[in-house]
Amino acid sequence: MEYAILASHVTKKFKDLTAVEDLSFKVRQAECFGFLGPNGAGKTTMMKMLIGRCRRDNPGPGQISVFGYDPVKSELEIKYLAGVVPQEDNLDAELSVRQNLFIYAGFYGIKKTTAAPRIDYLLDFMELTDKAGSKIRELSGGMKRRLIIARALINNPRLLILDEPTTGLDPQVRHLIWDKLRMLKKDGVTILITTHYMEEAYQICDRLIIMHKGEKVLEGAPGDLIEEHIEQYVLEILDRESVGDLDTDSRIRLEQTDSRVLLYSDDISVLEAVTGGYKAGDFYLRQSNLEDLFLKTTGRYLNE
Amino acid sequence: MSDSVVSIATTPPSFIRRVFSVWFRHYRVYTKHLLSNGLPPFVEPLFFLVGIGLGLGHYVGLIEGVEYVQFLAAGITVPPAMFTAAFECSFGTFIRLEFDKVYDGMLSSSINVRDLLIGEMLFAGSKSFFFSAAVLLVVSLFKLIPSPMALFTPVGGFLTGLMFAALSLFITSFVTTINHFNFYFTGLLTPMFFFSGIVFPLTEMPRVLRIAAEFFPLTHAANIVRAFCFNSFSGRLYWDLLYIIIFIVVFGILAIRRLEKRLIT
Repeated sequence: MEYAILASHVTKKFKDLTAVEDLSFKVRQAECFGFLGPNGAGKTTMMKMLIGRCRRDNPGPGQISVFGYDPVKSELEIKYLAGVVPQEDNLDAELSVRQNLFIYAGFYGIKKTTAAPRIDYLLDFMELTDKAGSKIRELSGGMKRRLIIARALINNPRLLILDEPTTGLDPQVRHLIWDKLRMLKKDGVTILITTHYMEEAYQICDRLIIMHKGEKVLEGAPGDLIEEHIEQYVLEILDRESVGDLDTDSRIRLEQTDSRVLLYSDDISVLEAVTGGYKAGDFYLRQSNLEDLFLKTTGRYLNE
Repeated sequence: MSDSVVSIATTPPSFIRRVFSVWFRHYRVYTKHLLSNGLPPFVEPLFFLVGIGLGLGHYVGLIEGVEYVQFLAAGITVPPAMFTAAFECSFGTFIRLEFDKVYDGMLSSSINVRDLLIGEMLFAGSKSFFFSAAVLLVVSLFKLIPSPMALFTPVGGFLTGLMFAALSLFITSFVTTINHFNFYFTGLLTPMFFFSGIVFPLTEMPRVLRIAAEFFPLTHAANIVRAFCFNSFSGRLYWDLLYIIIFIVVFGILAIRRLEKRLIT
Protein backbone atom coordinates (compact mmCIF):
# COMPACT_ATOMS: atom_id res chain seq x y z
CA MET A 1 0.00 0.00 0.00
CA GLU A 2 1.27 3.46 -0.90
CA TYR A 3 0.50 6.29 1.45
CA ALA A 4 0.43 10.06 1.12
CA ILE A 5 0.89 10.66 4.82
CA LEU A 6 2.37 8.58 7.59
CA ALA A 7 2.22 9.78 11.16
CA SER A 8 3.43 7.65 14.01
CA HIS A 9 3.42 8.24 17.75
CA VAL A 10 3.00 11.98 17.40
CA THR A 11 2.65 13.91 20.63
CA LYS A 12 2.13 17.60 21.19
CA LYS A 13 2.00 19.16 24.62
CA PHE A 14 1.33 22.81 25.29
CA LYS A 15 2.19 24.21 28.71
CA ASP A 16 -0.34 22.33 30.79
CA LEU A 17 -2.39 20.70 28.06
CA THR A 18 -1.74 17.62 25.99
CA ALA A 19 -3.26 18.48 22.63
CA VAL A 20 -2.22 15.31 20.79
CA GLU A 21 -1.11 12.14 22.50
CA ASP A 22 0.76 9.30 20.81
CA LEU A 23 -1.28 9.60 17.63
CA SER A 24 -0.56 7.35 14.67
CA PHE A 25 -2.39 7.17 11.37
CA LYS A 26 -1.85 6.56 7.68
CA VAL A 27 -3.54 8.34 4.84
CA ARG A 28 -3.70 6.61 1.47
CA GLN A 29 -3.23 8.40 -1.79
CA ALA A 30 -6.41 9.93 -3.19
CA GLU A 31 -8.60 9.00 -0.27
CA CYS A 32 -10.65 11.28 1.91
CA PHE A 33 -9.52 10.88 5.47
CA GLY A 34 -11.49 12.41 8.32
CA PHE A 35 -10.56 13.61 11.77
CA LEU A 36 -13.60 13.56 14.02
CA GLY A 37 -13.75 14.68 17.58
CA PRO A 38 -15.29 17.19 19.91
CA ASN A 39 -13.88 20.71 20.18
CA GLY A 40 -10.47 20.51 21.78
CA ALA A 41 -9.85 16.92 20.72
CA GLY A 42 -6.62 17.92 18.95
CA LYS A 43 -7.81 17.79 15.35
CA THR A 44 -6.65 21.24 14.34
CA THR A 45 -3.34 20.83 16.16
CA MET A 46 -2.70 17.63 14.21
CA MET A 47 -3.48 19.38 10.91
CA LYS A 48 -1.14 22.22 11.82
CA MET A 49 1.64 19.77 12.59
CA LEU A 50 1.36 18.35 9.08
CA ILE A 51 2.15 21.72 7.46
CA GLY A 52 4.70 22.92 9.98
CA ARG A 53 2.55 25.57 11.68
CA CYS A 54 2.87 23.58 14.86
CA ARG A 55 5.88 21.48 15.85
CA ARG A 56 5.43 18.04 17.33
CA ASP A 57 7.18 17.35 20.62
CA ASN A 58 10.80 16.66 20.01
CA PRO A 59 12.74 14.70 21.14
CA GLY A 60 10.29 11.88 21.08
CA PRO A 61 9.39 8.89 18.99
CA GLY A 62 7.07 11.00 16.83
CA GLN A 63 7.50 10.84 13.05
CA ILE A 64 5.58 12.54 10.30
CA SER A 65 6.02 12.11 6.57
CA VAL A 66 3.94 13.97 4.02
CA PHE A 67 4.84 12.87 0.49
CA GLY A 68 8.24 11.97 1.86
CA TYR A 69 8.84 15.28 3.61
CA ASP A 70 9.13 15.93 7.33
CA PRO A 71 7.20 19.11 8.18
CA VAL A 72 9.82 20.16 10.73
CA LYS A 73 12.52 20.26 8.06
CA SER A 74 10.63 20.73 4.80
CA GLU A 75 7.69 22.89 5.63
CA LEU A 76 7.86 24.75 2.32
CA GLU A 77 7.89 21.63 0.15
CA ILE A 78 4.82 20.27 1.91
CA LYS A 79 2.97 23.55 1.70
CA TYR A 80 3.89 23.82 -1.96
CA LEU A 81 2.18 20.48 -2.57
CA ALA A 82 -0.79 21.19 -0.34
CA GLY A 83 -3.77 23.48 -0.14
CA VAL A 84 -5.27 24.52 3.18
CA VAL A 85 -8.79 25.64 3.97
CA PRO A 86 -8.69 27.22 7.43
CA GLN A 87 -11.50 27.21 9.96
CA GLU A 88 -11.88 30.97 9.84
CA ASP A 89 -12.43 33.09 6.78
CA ASN A 90 -9.34 35.15 6.09
CA LEU A 91 -9.84 36.63 2.65
CA ASP A 92 -8.37 40.02 1.80
CA ALA A 93 -11.42 42.23 2.22
CA GLU A 94 -9.82 45.07 0.26
CA LEU A 95 -9.43 42.97 -2.87
CA SER A 96 -11.90 41.47 -5.32
CA VAL A 97 -12.61 37.76 -5.65
CA ARG A 98 -10.28 37.41 -8.60
CA GLN A 99 -7.52 39.50 -7.01
CA ASN A 100 -7.64 37.34 -3.90
CA LEU A 101 -6.81 34.35 -6.06
CA PHE A 102 -4.09 36.21 -7.95
CA ILE A 103 -2.33 37.15 -4.74
CA TYR A 104 -2.25 33.52 -3.64
CA ALA A 105 -1.00 32.42 -7.03
CA GLY A 106 1.91 34.73 -6.30
CA PHE A 107 2.68 32.96 -3.04
CA TYR A 108 3.22 29.77 -5.02
CA GLY A 109 5.33 31.54 -7.60
CA ILE A 110 2.74 30.96 -10.33
CA LYS A 111 3.21 33.30 -13.26
CA LYS A 112 0.39 35.64 -14.20
CA THR A 113 -0.15 33.99 -17.56
CA THR A 114 -0.52 30.57 -15.93
CA ALA A 115 -2.59 31.89 -13.06
CA ALA A 116 -5.25 33.61 -15.18
CA PRO A 117 -6.70 30.49 -16.84
CA ARG A 118 -6.33 28.53 -13.61
CA ILE A 119 -8.35 31.19 -11.78
CA ASP A 120 -11.04 31.12 -14.48
CA TYR A 121 -11.23 27.37 -14.12
CA LEU A 122 -11.44 27.47 -10.32
CA LEU A 123 -14.09 30.19 -10.28
CA ASP A 124 -16.12 28.05 -12.64
CA PHE A 125 -15.44 24.91 -10.61
CA MET A 126 -16.63 26.53 -7.39
CA GLU A 127 -19.49 28.27 -9.24
CA LEU A 128 -18.27 31.77 -8.55
CA THR A 129 -17.71 33.04 -12.09
CA ASP A 130 -20.46 35.67 -11.71
CA LYS A 131 -18.73 37.01 -8.63
CA ALA A 132 -15.23 37.33 -10.10
CA GLY A 133 -15.19 41.11 -9.82
CA SER A 134 -17.13 41.38 -6.56
CA LYS A 135 -15.79 42.75 -3.32
CA ILE A 136 -15.41 40.26 -0.50
CA ARG A 137 -17.95 41.98 1.71
CA GLU A 138 -20.58 41.49 -0.98
CA LEU A 139 -20.26 37.72 -0.69
CA SER A 140 -22.43 35.47 1.44
CA GLY A 141 -20.89 33.08 3.94
CA GLY A 142 -21.22 30.20 1.49
CA MET A 143 -19.55 32.15 -1.31
CA LYS A 144 -16.65 33.07 0.95
CA ARG A 145 -16.15 29.44 1.87
CA ARG A 146 -16.22 28.41 -1.78
CA LEU A 147 -13.71 31.11 -2.61
CA ILE A 148 -11.40 29.93 0.16
CA ILE A 149 -11.59 26.42 -1.24
CA ALA A 150 -10.83 27.76 -4.71
CA ARG A 151 -7.88 29.63 -3.20
CA ALA A 152 -6.59 26.44 -1.61
CA LEU A 153 -6.69 24.79 -5.05
CA ILE A 154 -4.75 27.50 -6.88
CA ASN A 155 -1.51 25.50 -6.85
CA ASN A 156 -3.14 22.28 -8.06
CA PRO A 157 -2.43 20.61 -4.72
CA ARG A 158 -1.87 16.90 -4.28
CA LEU A 159 -3.17 17.20 -0.74
CA LEU A 160 -6.13 19.29 0.35
CA ILE A 161 -6.49 19.99 4.06
CA LEU A 162 -9.84 21.30 5.22
CA ASP A 163 -10.49 22.38 8.79
CA GLU A 164 -14.24 22.28 9.41
CA PRO A 165 -15.03 23.47 5.91
CA THR A 166 -18.81 23.55 6.12
CA THR A 167 -19.44 24.85 9.62
CA GLY A 168 -22.29 27.34 9.53
CA LEU A 169 -23.26 26.77 5.91
CA ASP A 170 -26.69 25.95 4.51
CA PRO A 171 -27.40 22.45 3.17
CA GLN A 172 -27.21 23.51 -0.48
CA VAL A 173 -23.69 24.85 -0.12
CA ARG A 174 -22.66 21.91 2.02
CA HIS A 175 -23.79 19.42 -0.59
CA LEU A 176 -22.10 21.40 -3.35
CA ILE A 177 -18.83 21.36 -1.41
CA TRP A 178 -19.12 17.62 -0.82
CA ASP A 179 -19.68 17.06 -4.53
CA LYS A 180 -16.61 19.10 -5.39
CA LEU A 181 -14.52 17.21 -2.87
CA ARG A 182 -15.62 13.91 -4.40
CA MET A 183 -14.58 15.21 -7.82
CA LEU A 184 -11.18 16.24 -6.53
CA LYS A 185 -10.69 12.82 -5.01
CA LYS A 186 -11.43 11.24 -8.36
CA ASP A 187 -8.70 13.42 -9.83
CA GLY A 188 -6.25 11.92 -7.38
CA VAL A 189 -6.20 14.60 -4.70
CA THR A 190 -5.72 13.30 -1.18
CA ILE A 191 -8.16 14.99 1.16
CA LEU A 192 -7.85 15.50 4.87
CA ILE A 193 -10.82 16.92 6.66
CA THR A 194 -11.72 17.75 10.23
CA THR A 195 -15.35 17.97 11.13
CA HIS A 196 -17.84 17.39 13.83
CA TYR A 197 -20.68 16.92 11.41
CA MET A 198 -21.20 13.19 11.34
CA GLU A 199 -23.27 13.48 8.21
CA GLU A 200 -20.33 15.11 6.49
CA ALA A 201 -17.92 12.45 7.62
CA TYR A 202 -20.29 9.69 6.56
CA GLN A 203 -20.88 11.26 3.16
CA ILE A 204 -17.34 11.91 2.04
CA CYS A 205 -14.79 10.12 4.21
CA ASP A 206 -13.39 6.83 3.02
CA ARG A 207 -11.81 6.34 6.39
CA LEU A 208 -11.71 8.35 9.54
CA ILE A 209 -10.40 8.46 13.04
CA ILE A 210 -12.35 9.58 16.05
CA MET A 211 -10.20 11.58 18.44
CA HIS A 212 -10.88 12.32 22.04
CA LYS A 213 -8.68 14.41 24.31
CA GLY A 214 -5.78 14.14 21.91
CA GLU A 215 -5.96 10.40 21.49
CA LYS A 216 -7.28 8.17 18.76
CA VAL A 217 -10.24 6.16 19.97
CA LEU A 218 -11.43 4.56 16.74
CA GLU A 219 -10.22 4.21 13.18
CA GLY A 220 -11.80 2.76 10.07
CA ALA A 221 -14.36 3.23 7.31
CA PRO A 222 -17.51 4.93 8.62
CA GLY A 223 -19.79 2.01 7.68
CA ASP A 224 -17.47 -0.58 9.22
CA LEU A 225 -17.13 1.41 12.42
CA ILE A 226 -20.88 1.59 12.89
CA GLU A 227 -21.19 -2.10 12.16
CA GLU A 228 -18.44 -3.11 14.56
CA HIS A 229 -18.74 -0.70 17.41
CA ILE A 230 -22.37 0.10 17.95
CA GLU A 231 -25.66 -1.77 18.05
CA GLN A 232 -27.58 -1.70 14.81
CA TYR A 233 -30.78 -0.06 16.08
CA VAL A 234 -31.70 2.57 18.51
CA LEU A 235 -34.98 3.41 20.17
CA GLU A 236 -35.22 6.96 21.46
CA ILE A 237 -37.86 7.52 24.08
CA LEU A 238 -38.54 11.19 24.16
CA ASP A 239 -40.13 11.36 27.59
CA ARG A 240 -37.76 10.07 30.17
CA GLU A 241 -40.29 10.04 32.99
CA SER A 242 -42.46 7.41 31.34
CA VAL A 243 -39.73 4.78 31.16
CA GLY A 244 -40.05 2.06 33.75
CA ASP A 245 -37.56 -0.66 34.59
CA LEU A 246 -35.88 -1.56 31.33
CA ASP A 247 -32.25 -2.10 32.19
CA THR A 248 -32.86 -5.70 33.13
CA ASP A 249 -32.75 -6.97 29.57
CA SER A 250 -29.18 -7.92 28.57
CA ARG A 251 -29.93 -7.46 24.88
CA ILE A 252 -30.47 -3.74 25.41
CA ARG A 253 -27.87 -1.09 26.20
CA LEU A 254 -29.23 1.99 27.87
CA GLU A 255 -28.05 5.58 27.50
CA GLN A 256 -29.69 8.47 29.26
CA THR A 257 -29.66 12.20 28.71
CA ASP A 258 -31.43 14.89 30.71
CA SER A 259 -34.61 14.49 28.74
CA ARG A 260 -34.39 11.26 26.76
CA VAL A 261 -33.63 7.59 27.11
CA LEU A 262 -31.87 5.76 24.29
CA LEU A 263 -32.09 2.01 23.98
CA TYR A 264 -29.54 0.32 21.71
CA SER A 265 -29.88 -3.21 20.47
CA ASP A 266 -28.89 -5.42 17.54
CA ASP A 267 -32.28 -7.06 17.66
CA ILE A 268 -34.99 -4.78 16.35
CA SER A 269 -37.77 -7.00 17.68
CA VAL A 270 -36.61 -6.45 21.24
CA LEU A 271 -36.89 -2.71 20.74
CA GLU A 272 -40.22 -3.04 18.96
CA ALA A 273 -41.54 -4.92 21.96
CA VAL A 274 -40.65 -1.94 24.14
CA THR A 275 -42.46 0.50 21.87
CA GLY A 276 -45.74 -1.28 22.56
CA GLY A 277 -46.19 0.71 25.75
CA TYR A 278 -45.86 4.13 24.06
CA LYS A 279 -47.96 6.37 21.87
CA ALA A 280 -46.65 7.18 18.41
CA GLY A 281 -44.67 10.41 18.70
CA ASP A 282 -43.35 9.55 22.14
CA PHE A 283 -40.64 7.36 20.66
CA TYR A 284 -38.45 7.14 17.60
CA LEU A 285 -37.05 3.84 16.37
CA ARG A 286 -34.24 4.06 13.83
CA GLN A 287 -30.96 2.63 12.60
CA SER A 288 -27.99 3.80 14.58
CA ASN A 289 -25.58 6.17 12.85
CA LEU A 290 -22.14 7.67 13.11
CA GLU A 291 -23.37 10.28 15.56
CA ASP A 292 -24.47 7.58 17.98
CA LEU A 293 -21.06 6.02 17.70
CA PHE A 294 -19.38 9.36 18.13
CA LEU A 295 -21.31 10.12 21.29
CA LYS A 296 -20.71 6.62 22.59
CA THR A 297 -16.94 6.95 22.17
CA THR A 298 -16.47 10.57 23.16
CA GLY A 299 -19.14 10.82 25.82
CA ARG A 300 -22.36 12.75 26.04
CA TYR A 301 -21.12 15.36 28.46
CA LEU A 302 -19.55 18.61 27.29
CA ASN A 303 -15.85 18.39 26.69
CA GLU A 304 -15.09 21.99 27.54
CA MET B 1 1.46 -4.53 3.70
CA SER B 2 4.49 -2.25 3.62
CA ASP B 3 4.22 1.31 4.76
CA SER B 4 5.86 3.25 2.00
CA VAL B 5 5.10 6.88 1.39
CA VAL B 6 4.73 8.23 -2.10
CA SER B 7 7.59 10.69 -2.42
CA ILE B 8 6.98 13.66 -4.62
CA ALA B 9 10.00 15.73 -5.61
CA THR B 10 9.19 19.40 -5.76
CA THR B 11 10.85 22.79 -5.76
CA PRO B 12 9.07 25.67 -4.04
CA PRO B 13 9.65 29.19 -5.36
CA SER B 14 12.94 30.87 -4.50
CA PHE B 15 13.41 33.05 -1.42
CA ILE B 16 13.39 36.24 -3.51
CA ARG B 17 10.16 35.26 -5.21
CA ARG B 18 8.50 34.40 -1.93
CA VAL B 19 9.52 37.66 -0.32
CA PHE B 20 8.39 39.57 -3.38
CA SER B 21 4.98 37.87 -3.30
CA VAL B 22 4.49 39.04 0.29
CA TRP B 23 5.57 42.56 -0.65
CA PHE B 24 3.24 42.48 -3.63
CA ARG B 25 0.28 41.39 -1.51
CA HIS B 26 0.75 44.36 0.79
CA TYR B 27 1.28 46.67 -2.15
CA ARG B 28 -2.01 45.58 -3.77
CA VAL B 29 -3.96 45.95 -0.54
CA TYR B 30 -2.38 49.33 0.23
CA THR B 31 -2.94 50.82 -3.20
CA LYS B 32 -6.62 49.84 -3.10
CA HIS B 33 -7.18 52.96 -1.04
CA LEU B 34 -4.53 55.09 -2.66
CA LEU B 35 -6.16 58.44 -2.08
CA SER B 36 -6.75 58.08 1.66
CA ASN B 37 -3.50 56.21 2.19
CA GLY B 38 -1.31 58.26 -0.13
CA LEU B 39 -2.47 61.82 0.42
CA PRO B 40 -1.24 62.57 3.98
CA PRO B 41 2.49 62.75 3.17
CA PHE B 42 1.76 65.47 0.61
CA VAL B 43 -0.37 67.53 2.97
CA GLU B 44 1.39 67.19 6.31
CA PRO B 45 4.60 68.98 5.32
CA LEU B 46 2.53 72.02 4.36
CA PHE B 47 1.30 72.33 7.93
CA PHE B 48 4.83 71.99 9.21
CA LEU B 49 6.30 74.54 6.88
CA VAL B 50 3.59 77.11 7.42
CA GLY B 51 2.86 76.41 11.08
CA ILE B 52 6.34 75.95 12.43
CA GLY B 53 8.67 77.02 9.66
CA LEU B 54 7.07 80.39 8.94
CA GLY B 55 5.44 80.95 12.31
CA LEU B 56 8.33 80.01 14.53
CA GLY B 57 11.06 80.60 11.97
CA HIS B 58 10.33 84.31 12.14
CA TYR B 59 11.86 84.39 15.62
CA VAL B 60 14.79 82.10 14.87
CA GLY B 61 18.00 83.17 13.24
CA LEU B 62 20.20 81.07 10.98
CA ILE B 63 20.79 77.47 12.01
CA GLU B 64 24.02 75.87 10.89
CA GLY B 65 24.22 78.63 8.34
CA VAL B 66 20.77 78.17 6.76
CA GLU B 67 17.32 79.68 7.29
CA TYR B 68 15.26 77.84 9.89
CA VAL B 69 12.57 76.95 7.40
CA GLN B 70 15.24 75.28 5.23
CA PHE B 71 16.66 73.45 8.19
CA LEU B 72 13.16 72.22 9.02
CA ALA B 73 12.27 71.32 5.44
CA ALA B 74 15.19 68.91 5.18
CA GLY B 75 14.40 67.42 8.58
CA ILE B 76 10.75 66.69 8.00
CA THR B 77 11.42 64.31 5.13
CA VAL B 78 12.38 61.72 7.77
CA PRO B 79 9.65 61.46 10.47
CA PRO B 80 6.86 60.43 8.06
CA ALA B 81 9.10 57.54 7.03
CA MET B 82 9.42 56.59 10.68
CA PHE B 83 5.73 56.89 11.47
CA THR B 84 4.43 55.07 8.42
CA ALA B 85 6.75 52.10 8.94
CA ALA B 86 5.99 52.06 12.65
CA PHE B 87 2.23 52.05 12.06
CA GLU B 88 2.50 49.41 9.37
CA CYS B 89 4.52 47.03 11.52
CA SER B 90 2.73 47.61 14.81
CA PHE B 91 -1.01 48.17 14.37
CA GLY B 92 -0.96 46.77 10.83
CA THR B 93 1.00 43.68 11.74
CA PHE B 94 -1.02 43.06 14.86
CA ILE B 95 -4.30 43.26 12.94
CA ARG B 96 -3.01 40.89 10.25
CA LEU B 97 -1.76 38.57 12.97
CA GLU B 98 -4.63 38.51 15.44
CA PHE B 99 -7.80 39.95 13.91
CA ASP B 100 -7.82 39.39 10.15
CA LYS B 101 -5.83 36.13 10.34
CA VAL B 102 -4.03 37.17 7.16
CA TYR B 103 -0.82 35.50 8.30
CA ASP B 104 -2.62 32.22 8.91
CA GLY B 105 -3.54 32.12 5.26
CA MET B 106 -0.16 33.22 3.98
CA LEU B 107 1.70 30.76 6.16
CA SER B 108 -0.50 27.96 4.85
CA SER B 109 0.77 28.72 1.36
CA SER B 110 4.37 28.20 0.41
CA ILE B 111 5.66 31.06 2.55
CA ASN B 112 7.51 30.74 5.85
CA VAL B 113 7.69 33.14 8.77
CA ARG B 114 11.01 34.57 7.66
CA ASP B 115 9.73 35.31 4.14
CA LEU B 116 6.64 36.86 5.62
CA LEU B 117 8.44 39.22 7.97
CA ILE B 118 11.19 40.22 5.56
CA GLY B 119 8.49 40.99 3.00
CA GLU B 120 6.70 42.98 5.65
CA MET B 121 9.82 45.03 6.46
CA LEU B 122 10.60 45.67 2.81
CA PHE B 123 7.07 46.82 2.20
CA ALA B 124 7.23 49.18 5.18
CA GLY B 125 10.56 50.44 3.81
CA SER B 126 8.98 51.02 0.41
CA LYS B 127 6.14 52.97 1.97
CA SER B 128 8.69 55.05 3.83
CA PHE B 129 10.55 55.67 0.57
CA PHE B 130 7.32 56.94 -0.93
CA PHE B 131 6.49 59.11 2.10
CA SER B 132 9.94 60.72 2.12
CA ALA B 133 9.73 61.30 -1.61
CA ALA B 134 6.32 62.93 -1.21
CA VAL B 135 7.60 65.31 1.45
CA LEU B 136 10.71 66.04 -0.61
CA LEU B 137 8.55 66.92 -3.57
CA VAL B 138 6.43 69.32 -1.56
CA VAL B 139 9.33 71.10 0.15
CA SER B 140 11.18 71.29 -3.19
CA LEU B 141 8.23 73.11 -4.69
CA PHE B 142 8.92 75.84 -2.14
CA LYS B 143 12.57 75.88 -3.27
CA LEU B 144 13.73 74.99 0.23
CA ILE B 145 16.17 72.27 -0.75
CA PRO B 146 19.40 73.66 -2.17
CA SER B 147 21.20 70.53 -3.38
CA PRO B 148 20.21 68.16 -6.19
CA MET B 149 21.85 65.46 -4.07
CA ALA B 150 18.59 65.62 -2.10
CA LEU B 151 17.21 63.21 -4.69
CA PHE B 152 18.74 60.51 -2.50
CA THR B 153 16.57 61.54 0.44
CA PRO B 154 13.97 58.81 -0.20
CA VAL B 155 16.75 56.24 0.14
CA GLY B 156 17.29 57.63 3.63
CA GLY B 157 13.54 57.27 4.08
CA PHE B 158 13.75 53.65 2.97
CA LEU B 159 16.48 52.91 5.54
CA THR B 160 14.48 54.74 8.20
CA GLY B 161 11.51 52.58 7.28
CA LEU B 162 13.52 49.38 7.60
CA MET B 163 14.79 50.44 11.03
CA PHE B 164 11.37 51.22 12.38
CA ALA B 165 9.77 48.22 10.71
CA ALA B 166 12.28 45.95 12.45
CA LEU B 167 11.89 47.75 15.78
CA SER B 168 8.09 47.76 15.53
CA LEU B 169 7.92 44.07 14.67
CA PHE B 170 10.12 43.42 17.66
CA ILE B 171 7.78 45.46 19.87
CA THR B 172 4.75 43.73 18.33
CA SER B 173 6.16 40.36 19.31
CA PHE B 174 5.57 41.32 22.96
CA VAL B 175 2.16 42.87 22.49
CA THR B 176 -0.96 40.97 23.46
CA THR B 177 -3.49 43.84 23.37
CA ILE B 178 -3.52 46.40 20.60
CA ASN B 179 -3.73 49.26 23.15
CA HIS B 180 -0.18 48.50 24.29
CA PHE B 181 1.08 50.27 21.18
CA ASN B 182 0.15 53.58 22.80
CA PHE B 183 3.17 53.21 25.06
CA TYR B 184 5.39 52.68 22.06
CA PHE B 185 4.12 55.68 20.14
CA THR B 186 3.82 58.10 23.03
CA GLY B 187 6.73 56.82 25.03
CA LEU B 188 9.31 56.22 22.32
CA LEU B 189 8.42 57.61 18.91
CA THR B 190 7.12 61.02 19.98
CA PRO B 191 10.23 61.88 22.03
CA MET B 192 12.35 60.61 19.19
CA PHE B 193 10.62 63.00 16.86
CA PHE B 194 11.55 65.93 19.09
CA PHE B 195 15.04 64.92 20.15
CA SER B 196 16.66 63.64 16.98
CA GLY B 197 17.64 66.93 15.44
CA ILE B 198 14.58 67.11 13.21
CA VAL B 199 12.93 70.32 14.41
CA PHE B 200 15.96 71.88 16.08
CA PRO B 201 19.66 71.03 16.16
CA LEU B 202 20.95 69.04 19.08
CA THR B 203 24.14 71.06 19.49
CA GLU B 204 22.68 73.47 22.03
CA MET B 205 20.87 70.78 24.03
CA PRO B 206 21.97 69.59 27.49
CA ARG B 207 24.66 66.93 27.35
CA VAL B 208 22.32 64.17 28.59
CA LEU B 209 19.93 64.72 25.73
CA ARG B 210 22.73 64.83 23.21
CA ILE B 211 23.98 61.48 24.41
CA ALA B 212 20.48 60.05 24.42
CA ALA B 213 19.98 61.27 20.88
CA GLU B 214 23.00 59.26 19.74
CA PHE B 215 21.04 56.15 20.64
CA PHE B 216 17.93 57.20 18.77
CA PRO B 217 17.76 55.64 15.30
CA LEU B 218 15.99 58.68 13.96
CA THR B 219 19.02 60.89 14.74
CA HIS B 220 21.21 58.92 12.38
CA ALA B 221 18.62 58.94 9.63
CA ALA B 222 18.23 62.68 10.01
CA ASN B 223 21.99 63.21 9.82
CA ILE B 224 22.24 61.32 6.57
CA VAL B 225 19.24 62.93 4.93
CA ARG B 226 20.35 66.42 5.90
CA ALA B 227 23.81 65.80 4.51
CA PHE B 228 22.27 64.98 1.14
CA CYS B 229 19.89 67.93 1.25
CA PHE B 230 22.69 70.42 1.92
CA ASN B 231 25.44 68.59 0.08
CA SER B 232 27.66 68.71 3.17
CA PHE B 233 29.24 65.36 3.87
CA SER B 234 31.59 64.34 6.63
CA GLY B 235 33.23 61.16 7.89
CA ARG B 236 30.65 61.02 10.67
CA LEU B 237 28.12 59.77 8.15
CA TYR B 238 29.87 56.38 7.97
CA TRP B 239 29.10 55.93 11.63
CA ASP B 240 25.45 56.91 11.01
CA LEU B 241 25.18 54.43 8.18
CA LEU B 242 26.85 51.68 10.21
CA TYR B 243 24.47 52.34 13.09
CA ILE B 244 21.49 52.07 10.74
CA ILE B 245 22.64 48.80 9.19
CA ILE B 246 23.43 47.21 12.54
CA PHE B 247 20.10 48.38 13.93
CA ILE B 248 18.14 46.87 11.03
CA VAL B 249 19.98 43.56 11.21
CA VAL B 250 19.83 43.18 14.99
CA PHE B 251 16.19 44.13 15.46
CA GLY B 252 15.20 42.32 12.28
CA ILE B 253 16.68 39.07 13.53
CA LEU B 254 15.24 39.50 17.03
CA ALA B 255 11.80 40.27 15.61
CA ILE B 256 11.83 37.24 13.31
CA ARG B 257 12.96 34.95 16.12
CA ARG B 258 10.35 36.16 18.54
CA LEU B 259 7.46 36.22 16.09
CA GLU B 260 8.44 32.78 14.82
CA LYS B 261 7.83 31.48 18.33
CA ARG B 262 4.45 33.12 18.31
CA LEU B 263 3.42 31.91 14.85
CA ILE B 264 4.86 28.40 15.00
CA THR B 265 3.54 26.79 18.15
